[in-house]
This record gives sequence, C-alpha cells and structure tokens, in this order.
Amino acid sequence: MSDEQNIAERFVRAPGEEPQGEPRGFLGRLRAEPLLPEAGAGGAPLTAVIAVMSFLAAIALAVFVFISDAAGEWTSELERGLTIQIKGADAETIASQTQEAMRVLQSTEGVLEARAVPKEESEKLLEPWLGKGNIGAYLNIPALIEVRVDQNLRNDLSLLRTRLSAAAPGAVLDDHGEWHERLSAAARSGQLMAFAVFILVMGAGCAISVFAARAGLAANREIVSILHLVGATDDFVANQVQRRFLVLGLRGTFAGLALAMLTLGLTSLLMRAGGGPSGFLPSIKLGPQLFFTLLIVPIALCLVTAATARLTVLRTLSKEL
Amino acid sequence: MIVGFDNVSLAYEGEPEILREVSFTLGEGEFRFLTGPSGAGKTSLLKMIYLAHRPTRGAVTLFGEDVTAAPREALPALRRRIGVVFQEFRLLDHLTAFENVALPMKVAGINPNQYREDVRELLNWVGLGHRIDARPPSLSGGEKQRVALARALVAKPDLILADEPTGNVDPVMGEKIMKLFIELNKLGAAVIVATHDITLIEALGKPIMHLEGGRLHDQPTTPPAKKGKRG
Ligand SMILES: Nc1ncnc2c1ncn2[C@@H]1O[C@H](COP(=O)(O)OP(=O)(O)O)[C@@H](O)[C@H]1O
Ligand SMILES: [Mg+2]
Repeated sequence: MSDEQNIAERFVRAPGEEPQGEPRGFLGRLRAEPLLPEAGAGGAPLTAVIAVMSFLAAIALAVFVFISDAAGEWTSELERGLTIQIKGADAETIASQTQEAMRVLQSTEGVLEARAVPKEESEKLLEPWLGKGNIGAYLNIPALIEVRVDQNLRNDLSLLRTRLSAAAPGAVLDDHGEWHERLSAAARSGQLMAFAVFILVMGAGCAISVFAARAGLAANREIVSILHLVGATDDFVANQVQRRFLVLGLRGTFAGLALAMLTLGLTSLLMRAGGGPSGFLPSIKLGPQLFFTLLIVPIALCLVTAATARLTVLRTLSKEL
Repeated sequence: MIVGFDNVSLAYEGEPEILREVSFTLGEGEFRFLTGPSGAGKTSLLKMIYLAHRPTRGAVTLFGEDVTAAPREALPALRRRIGVVFQEFRLLDHLTAFENVALPMKVAGINPNQYREDVRELLNWVGLGHRIDARPPSLSGGEKQRVALARALVAKPDLILADEPTGNVDPVMGEKIMKLFIELNKLGAAVIVATHDITLIEALGKPIMHLEGGRLHDQPTTPPAKKGKRG
C-alpha cells in the first residue's frame, strides 16, 4: 500500500463514524484550551483600569462598612444615655432640684445608672469657650445628670418626664433624639454615597468590558474568522474571550484590592499615630471580617466584566454572516 | 448530493457581480477541478461552499441541506464536515504547526489524546515532522501550505476544498498532494481542487469546471494522459 493510501485510510470517516461535535457541558468547555494570543484583548491597559476600579470599589465598600460600624457605635452610645439638665435662678435651687431629680431617677424602674456630674466637671466642659477660672462664681451653670436606662424605659420616657417636671421644674430631659436623628441621617447619606460609588464602578466595569471586548474582537478578527471556519461556534469564541477577561480581571482586581488594603492599613496607622480616634471617630477595624467583605469586589468585578465581555462577543458575532 | 449551486450569483458589497448564475452539482465521492484565470472568482465560489459568504442570488445546497439562508447556529456543524486548504493558508501565527493542525479538534473540544498521533502523522507525511513546534512566521510559503493541508484533513472531512493547494510547493510535493486527494476521494471524500496547474489536471483526467467572465463553463475531462476514470 502506498503512503498516500495509508494516510487516506486514516483520514476518511468510516461509515457510521460521527463527524466531530462541539464542546458540550462544563467539562468540554474547560478542556477547550486558550487559543487567543496573550497580546490581544487590551492586556496591560485593561488590567490597570480594572485595578483602579477595584481599588475605588474596595475603598467605597470599606467606607460603607466603617460608616455603618461608626453609626452603630454612636447611636447605641446615644441611645443608652440620657442627659438631664437642671437650670435654676441660683446655685441652691439647682442643687436642691438636682437632689429631687436624683430621687425620682432612683425610684424609677429601668434606670440603670444616674450620675450627677460634679460641678467642676461641668465647668471644665465649658472651659474651651469661657476660659479657665472660677466660672461657677459668676455664672449659674446648669447641673447635669448623666443617666443610663434600659430599652423599655428608653422606648417610653413620658412618665419619667412628667415625674421629673413635677419634682424638679427646672429639669429638662434630653434624650439625644435630635443628635440621633442627625447622625443617622448623616450616616445614611454617607452610606448611600459609598454605595453609589460602588455601583458606579461596577457600571464602569461593564462599559470598559464592552469596549475592550469589541476592540479585542476587532484586533483578533482574522483569528476569530479562522476559528469559525474550522468549526468553532460563537459560544466557543465567547468562552475564549471570557476566559481572557477573567484572567486579566483577576490579575487587575486583586492588585487593586491589595492596594486598597494597604491604603486602609496606612490610614488606620496614621489615625492611631495622630492621637487615636478614640473619641468621636471610630477606629478603622482591619480584620478578617473586613477582608472577607472586600472580597465582594473582585468577585463582583470579575463576574461583571467577564459576563459583559461574553455578551458583547455574542452580540457582535451574531451580526456577522 | 454534497454540493449544489442553483443559479448562484455573487457580488461583494458595493461592487458588480463577479459570479453570475452559476449552477452545478457535486455528487457523493466526486472529484472536480475548478479552473479559470486569476480573478475569475474561484476562491469566491469556494467561499460560498465553506460558508464564509452567502450568495447574493440563487441557492446553495450542502450535504443535501439548503444552506442559502441557514441560521448562523447551523453553520459550525456544517463547516466541521468540510476541510479547506485556503489559498492564503490562514494559519494562526501564535500557534505552533502542531497546534494549527490540531485546531479543528481543539475547537471541537476533543481530548488531545485522541488526535495527537493523527496530527503527528499528517505532519510527517507532508514532510514537516521536524518542524512540529515551529510557528508559521518561521515557515516558508510551501511549508505553510503543507500545514494548511494537514489541518484540512485532520477532522476527516466529507468534503475537501483545496484552493491552489500546490501553488507554493515543488512539483514532487505537488504530485504527492494530488495523489493523496485521489486516494481520499477513492475512499469516499468529495473533492474540489481550484488550480491552474495544467500539468496536474492533465495527469489526473478528472472533470473540470472552468470559470471565466463570471460564468461557469463545464468542460468534460481534458484529454487525459491516461484513461479518464468516472467523473
Ligand atoms: N472580499 C472581497 N471584497 C471585494 N472584492 C473581492 C473580495 N475578494 C475577492 N474580490 C474580487 O473578486 C474577484 C474574484 O476574486 P477571487 O475569487 O479571489 O478570484 P480567483 O480566486 O479566481 O483568483 C477579484 O476581482 C477580486 O478582486
Ligand atoms: Mg483564488
């Protein structure tokens, strides 16, 4: 038998032998190895853009988390506490009414703690505005009582209010409600903004993917055309592009995430070095919990970019022939 | 019927028709030469068979199916049954000779174990066993043509379309390739070879379709060098 006959026998389909199918199912797709050149699909610039977006999204998400932590801390602090201010014409009235108020508090169910703020302490609070000196001597500074109450009492303060004003007409109960409202509102808008940034970044991710996928297809036009001519389906080509985007996306997004973590770490260090955030601003808590939350960013960004790239490819190809 | 053209005309966008009312059929197991001067539209005619272009008018049948307006999803399965040796080779420059030949199998998601030996054998046969890992940019025109030939055959096509397959190889290789087409054809593959290599055509004595002026002129077998077989 000649050489040619030998070869011919191997490369003509035997009767009943099926023609080549196409990759089916998940395994078939996995086996389909990458066939697009590394240089295509925008490579480095796309990775960089995804890194930047990932950084922004991570920071936005972290801000969101910090705000909810902080708002939680502030409001629970405010919620547990009440302040009673006792005004009066002279020091004696104030003192006696303070005692009356304390008595009412001690006999009220749900009051966990009541502390009359010593005069010196109140004066100290005013020092930044009025300067050092014996302020109390020429000013009738209202007395303050700090009260901590349980949730039941907190929910309904009306009885306490009535009893207080009966016993001590100069007493004003401040439940921090206004502060609470304002802080909650501020926290909500802060969170909304952080969330909006996160969504915007995801949207930008979509837009970038559309452009990059189209550019990648155009740059690889001949390759894609050859793949089709040897029997590739649009789905196969879309998988190829999607895979490229996943690889680039993973690279970029983890770089961005690492940068974001670094930035957050540095900020936290700086805040601590600058005297500590202990008072008003809550500390940035960098822990595994935040890390796992931030993992949302690479997952979401990769899914969004890869899925968009896939859809773009399928849409673009469907307009051909 | 493997291929059927029914009054097929073709015009590239914004240009006059280059093929006019072309009709022919290619039956199972048939071998046909396609000749004509350069620019006559041989490549364009083949393009409509391998579904790279749709006819402007007329109807194309492939493996008994009317594919004139076949939906896009139906094309890959049909293309997989056709092995094309493109005139300008159309290899992927970033893949090796081996990977290029294996491309139809890769695209079909077939396990490499099932085709590795086939690919090697084909490359050996075209005399490129030693250049298996070379990429097309480092291959000569003739070598690329042989890689393209190997790729056209690897998936055991029912229809082989060869566009000037011997244009870049030496006469000995050219003869060898033609002999292979004949053998493949004997075993059942339908073959169309576009060429203007008169010596090859004359040696084989197969029926000829001649394209000129946008029209097809059927010619019976050219005076055969040896007794012409069935057409
Ligand atoms: N993609 C195309 N767009 C426009 N014109 C084309 C295209 N391909 C080929 N042509 C023109 O069609 C005619 C036939 O070309 P072709 O089919 O390659 O002929 P052949 O293969 O017989 O040399 C030529 O005039 C060529 O310039
Ligand atoms: Mg041509």
